[in-house]
Amino acid sequence: MAAPLPKRIIKETERLQSEPVPGISAEPHEENARYFDVKVDGPSGSCYEGGEFQLELFLPDDYPMCPPRIRFLTKIYHPNIDRLGRICLDVLKNNWSPALQIRTILLSIQALLGAPNPEDPLNEAVAKQWKENQPEAIKTAREWTTLYAQKK
Amino acid sequence: MNLLQAAGPLSVSSGEGQSYSGVNEKADLMRQDELAAAEQKNASPSDLGAHDDARALVRLIQCSRCSLPFRMPVTLPCGNTICRACVPQSHEREHISYPDLPGRRQAFRCPFQQCAEEHPVSDCNVDVVLTKLMDSIAEVVAKHASAIERTPAALEAAERWDEGVSLPEKMATQEALAGRLVTTYLLAAEGKLARDAQMDYLPTPEVSGNESAMDVTILSELLETTQREVDCQVCYNLMLDPVTTFCGHTLCRNCLARVLDHSQHCPVCRRGLSIAPSLHSQASNKTLVNLLNGLCPEAVSARAEAVALEEAGGEGGLNTSLFVCTLGFPNQPTFLRIFEPRYRLMLRRCVEGSKEFGMLMYNRYLEPQGDLGPVHFYHYGIMLRIIHSQLLADGTSLIETRGAYRFRVKAHGVMDGYAVGNVERLDDVPLVEEERLEAEETSLPPAAEDDLAGQLTRMSTKDLLALGQDFIVRMQARSANWLQQRVLDIHGLPPDDAAMFPYWFASVLPISDEEKYKLMGTTTVRQRLKITASWIRRIESQRWYQSNSCQIL
Repeated sequence: MAAPLPKRIIKETERLQSEPVPGISAEPHEENARYFDVKVDGPSGSCYEGGEFQLELFLPDDYPMCPPRIRFLTKIYHPNIDRLGRICLDVLKNNWSPALQIRTILLSIQALLGAPNPEDPLNEAVAKQWKENQPEAIKTAREWTTLYAQKK
Repeated sequence: MNLLQAAGPLSVSSGEGQSYSGVNEKADLMRQDELAAAEQKNASPSDLGAHDDARALVRLIQCSRCSLPFRMPVTLPCGNTICRACVPQSHEREHISYPDLPGRRQAFRCPFQQCAEEHPVSDCNVDVVLTKLMDSIAEVVAKHASAIERTPAALEAAERWDEGVSLPEKMATQEALAGRLVTTYLLAAEGKLARDAQMDYLPTPEVSGNESAMDVTILSELLETTQREVDCQVCYNLMLDPVTTFCGHTLCRNCLARVLDHSQHCPVCRRGLSIAPSLHSQASNKTLVNLLNGLCPEAVSARAEAVALEEAGGEGGLNTSLFVCTLGFPNQPTFLRIFEPRYRLMLRRCVEGSKEFGMLMYNRYLEPQGDLGPVHFYHYGIMLRIIHSQLLADGTSLIETRGAYRFRVKAHGVMDGYAVGNVERLDDVPLVEEERLEAEETSLPPAAEDDLAGQLTRMSTKDLLALGQDFIVRMQARSANWLQQRVLDIHGLPPDDAAMFPYWFASVLPISDEEKYKLMGTTTVRQRLKITASWIRRIESQRWYQSNSCQIL
């Protein structure tokens, strides 16, 4: 027997739909309102521009005391995102605060696409390439975006 | 035509329009402190009418030092609010070496007489929520006040009327135009209305209908614009018992306590929070509490009820907190250290509420549990009553509990990360049934020599108890480790009560919990004694045990 959905999650979901963020969408699953299908557009001016990235987002039982669990489903070439789509982002870990929300987290992820940080890598190989040959890395990221992140 | 009169502390006009000098004993003589105390006592929400209580409403946002509507309000650690400009001059504190953080050396004496404590300067920052509220209020008032200025004809008419050029009469005209709320606020904002001054509005039959409607409109507009400001940033609900951190951020008391279970940082600004995790000594934001109680009492009570319901486990009857940990027995003590954030929350709710929670044993191998199937706990548990709970400085707690009664979990769910359930108390059968059972079993034909269980079944309840007690005496004679004095200090001497003996025995005997768990589902005294007797027989049959009293099973 599942506990009723906290008011906070209901309100956040409503606001995500009534006041959507441009370039970001998050739709809850019908059978599990804690599980969201997320789409984030690659930020313009970045090597992910034109791509639409799919993510899954899950709100654990103790949300908002603990951060949402979130992962890229779309393959992406990025020093802070590993092959399984896991994201290295401080606000998803130690720097989480219950005053943050789904909206701000997704904005942070979009910002991470616009500003890859190879100094704090999750994907060593990509980070290495990013540091040693940035133009090549950016080229690969663009190719992957075209290959895997096309709007459906 | 005198519509209104602003009265200072010592002059009051009566309702009939007959003025006299005197004392309004109800409010005017009350000193600030008493007023504040009276406001505080008024804990149950009371509705303030937009029109009739305009004076009281404006007083809620008047600084008690300067009487102006709060400018950059600072909510002090004692829960009182003053303007930042009204914070008294600070002085250097002496003989303080810990924690010696920046800003803690400087302090000022609290200007509120009921507090009068020293507040470190660094603990007094601008109250973000109240500041936003004040800005919103000022905006709404300005919008409506400008309506007055846009009608110069009316003002001129007022000038002509007021040959004496007395302020109250001018105000009277304004009131007719903008309502009591705006008029009173403007008077306060101009510094012409002391916080503890009363205002008597004379009845104005011609315009009162309009005025009243206008006040209601303005107040509802205020409520609408400020609604989001008074939502807690953690639960997204109307703030319930708001507490303001030293950095100036406000959350529901419950939400802040939960935040502190997880981190010692403000969720809004991430500044370190030097607040005791219990929040017991933390004052509520009095200004905000009074505002919410005065403006939206229904919403406040609805919210309080919803929280109470939520903590009681919602409507599904899942009203028992369940702590999946270890085994415990009726009338026996259990000592626990609570450190996981979710269980800290559970413990706090229990301590504030029923003082009881259920403890279940962890079901490592997911053995099926009746209707519940393979769940992560064994379905018979013990209700623990909290005897003593000590909150340690790091937010973890040491608790002393005593087993109250056994129960079975009928349904379960999760609330805020910990298990909750609908439980059914498990009691022994009535004594008559117990007696009948004993008579029936003891009159069975003798059991075979190798039928150990059969032999135990035929023993009288008294003999079964004696078997256990004798065993204890023999073990004590051999200085068994598990019967050392410190064990007896905690669990007491073996009870004479046959119903309780097995629980005591299981608490001290070093055998596996899975074996001891067999006692949990029993409903007769005999059944339990037979179980303990079977343990004793098995222990005694193990020869290695004879030579070594340290390890059993």
